Amino acid sequence: MPLKLLTALSVRNLFRHRRRTIMLLLAITVAVAGVVVTNGLIRGMQFDMREAAVANLTGHLKVLAPGYLDDPNIEKSFELAPGWQPDLPAEEMEGWAARIRIPAVIMSERETRGVQFVGVDPAREDISFLGDVAITGEGLTDGNDRRVLIGVELARQLETDVGRRLVLITQGLDGRNREAGFRIAGLYDAEGTALEKQFVFTGVGALQNMVEAPVVTEVSIKLADELYEQEVKQQLTGFFSAQDVMDWQELEPQAAAMFVYVDSAILIWFFVIMGALIFGLVNTLITAVMERIREFGMLRAVGMKSGAVIVQVVLESTIIMLVGVFVGVLVGWVLATQWLGDGIDLSQWAQGVEMAGMRSVLTPYVLVGDIVLVTVLSLVFGVLAALYPAWRAVKIKPLEALRR
Amino acid sequence: MSPCMSPGRATFCLLICLLPAAVSADLPGTGTDGSDRAPVTAEDLVAGALDLVRGRTSYTELTMIIHRPDWERTSALVSWTRGREDALIRFTAPARDAGNATLKQGDKMWTYTPKLNRTIRLPYSLMSQSWAGSDFSYNDLSRTDDLLRHYDLTITGEREEDGHRIYTIEAIPHDEAPVVWGKEEWVLRDDYVLISQNFFDQSMELLKRLETLEIGELGGRVMPLRMRMSKLDEPENYTEVVYDSAEFDIDIEDRTFTVFSLQSGGR
Repeated sequence: MPLKLLTALSVRNLFRHRRRTIMLLLAITVAVAGVVVTNGLIRGMQFDMREAAVANLTGHLKVLAPGYLDDPNIEKSFELAPGWQPDLPAEEMEGWAARIRIPAVIMSERETRGVQFVGVDPAREDISFLGDVAITGEGLTDGNDRRVLIGVELARQLETDVGRRLVLITQGLDGRNREAGFRIAGLYDAEGTALEKQFVFTGVGALQNMVEAPVVTEVSIKLADELYEQEVKQQLTGFFSAQDVMDWQELEPQAAAMFVYVDSAILIWFFVIMGALIFGLVNTLITAVMERIREFGMLRAVGMKSGAVIVQVVLESTIIMLVGVFVGVLVGWVLATQWLGDGIDLSQWAQGVEMAGMRSVLTPYVLVGDIVLVTVLSLVFGVLAALYPAWRAVKIKPLEALRR
Repeated sequence: MSPCMSPGRATFCLLICLLPAAVSADLPGTGTDGSDRAPVTAEDLVAGALDLVRGRTSYTELTMIIHRPDWERTSALVSWTRGREDALIRFTAPARDAGNATLKQGDKMWTYTPKLNRTIRLPYSLMSQSWAGSDFSYNDLSRTDDLLRHYDLTITGEREEDGHRIYTIEAIPHDEAPVVWGKEEWVLRDDYVLISQNFFDQSMELLKRLETLEIGELGGRVMPLRMRMSKLDEPENYTEVVYDSAEFDIDIEDRTFTVFSLQSGGR
């Protein structure tokens, strides 16, 4: 029997029960649109966390002295040849920065806090969160600027302000204390107070002068695409044979684990919603088959093959699924990119959100790959759901059916 | 945090170099008549106070009173000092604190707790913590003669009182100095007895004060006998140090200022 005829039969059958078909279409649309929107939100959260992890002075790759992670201090440092830069093609690398990052004690007249004292070249820091924070006062001018940039929250705790002097104490290479006064150039307002409390920035040259050593503790590299990560890592390992080269997954294992977990979470979520939908679909299809027992009996009696019966029922299910998924994806995409396009403001729960390593605005991120996955899997589900009703239709005996 | 962050070096003379007293008339700028001497500069006054104790030794017995709104604790201590670099301070009372000791060698410090039988070399992160629960920090104990190095000194006031000239010295820290204060103000007598020392924040608001409550003679010197460190916004929180006895320029063995001596409890 030609496929064209079977398709025409299926379509006609669907149109015969308009209300039932519309209800089914609505159910599929809502489920698929829901999956698309939630996937978008979960993806948004996932990329947000990776972005934050990479921007948190980590970069995709980092060169560190062995043992720095266990005991971060100035002794775990290395020298960079003057004028050194990573030997990478421009299209693979977004930027790089060499820094000193050591623990220090910061003091104002009234308070004392422990912080990470970071020497940076401000021109290179567009690869980290420092590149896009709002600054009250002035930013650092260059790598030899010996003023400090501190977080708004830290300034509040220290009861100090722009232009005041703070004392920073840290350890030099010889193990003896180094202390010096630093004027506050400006206050930075980062996403969340955790960063603001943790990092105090100054010029890398100024910090090298303070510890009296021309060293850095880390070289951080942000790639144009994560695709290059392992390749570049190998290359750097060859170059920095005495140091450790680590990727962000090793440096931020929690964020990396969350990142992987989200991939499976998306699938689990999809199966839950689709599972609920499938039972409705099976139920409706069985009803549709049962009320057409006489028809099927007649068709079998005039010579329709059992294979053709199966194809016809499956086609019905596939057509309705196809239309439903198309509309659902469209609705979901519009909802995710237009309605929620500006993001959901989570600042009310800022502290909890911050703990999860996210920003305070959650923007959905719709991946084409996810939509293809949803579409293909939905169609597969549609076919699978039709198999049992089709088998019921095949089982109809023409003689019994016609005698009814 | 603790109310005793005092990165200013100004209290250096209190415990480690607790001898801001001069008796000999041959020191520059001393003498009470004030008629036939050269004009006094702020540097002379401060350097004089510092030189006075340089290279000398002392043994003192003190009482420390830590006062808080709800309680007060009195402890007894003994201390040995040599120059401004070496010092050993040991608690002798109350019983539960007895034996706790702090050793300073140059800019390194150790503490010893007999109950734990542990000696700890103080890391820099602990240096701003309160020492023995008082209003002094380890920094206050360890800081030495940076006043001449990190501050610009000027005499801003002079007056006569009880036959002494009293100088008010303003000390403004250099721009990159490791000093959090906006300025310090010293009130010194012409015989180098510290009358008071005031710490101002960077908006020039008075924040805390070390003042001499009693001056007298001890160990053959005229010196402050009772001093009090207090914060202006918490007047009920203060620490007082009272000198009960003192000996100067005595012989102290080298081994007094060693970690072994810190642990062994002897001198």
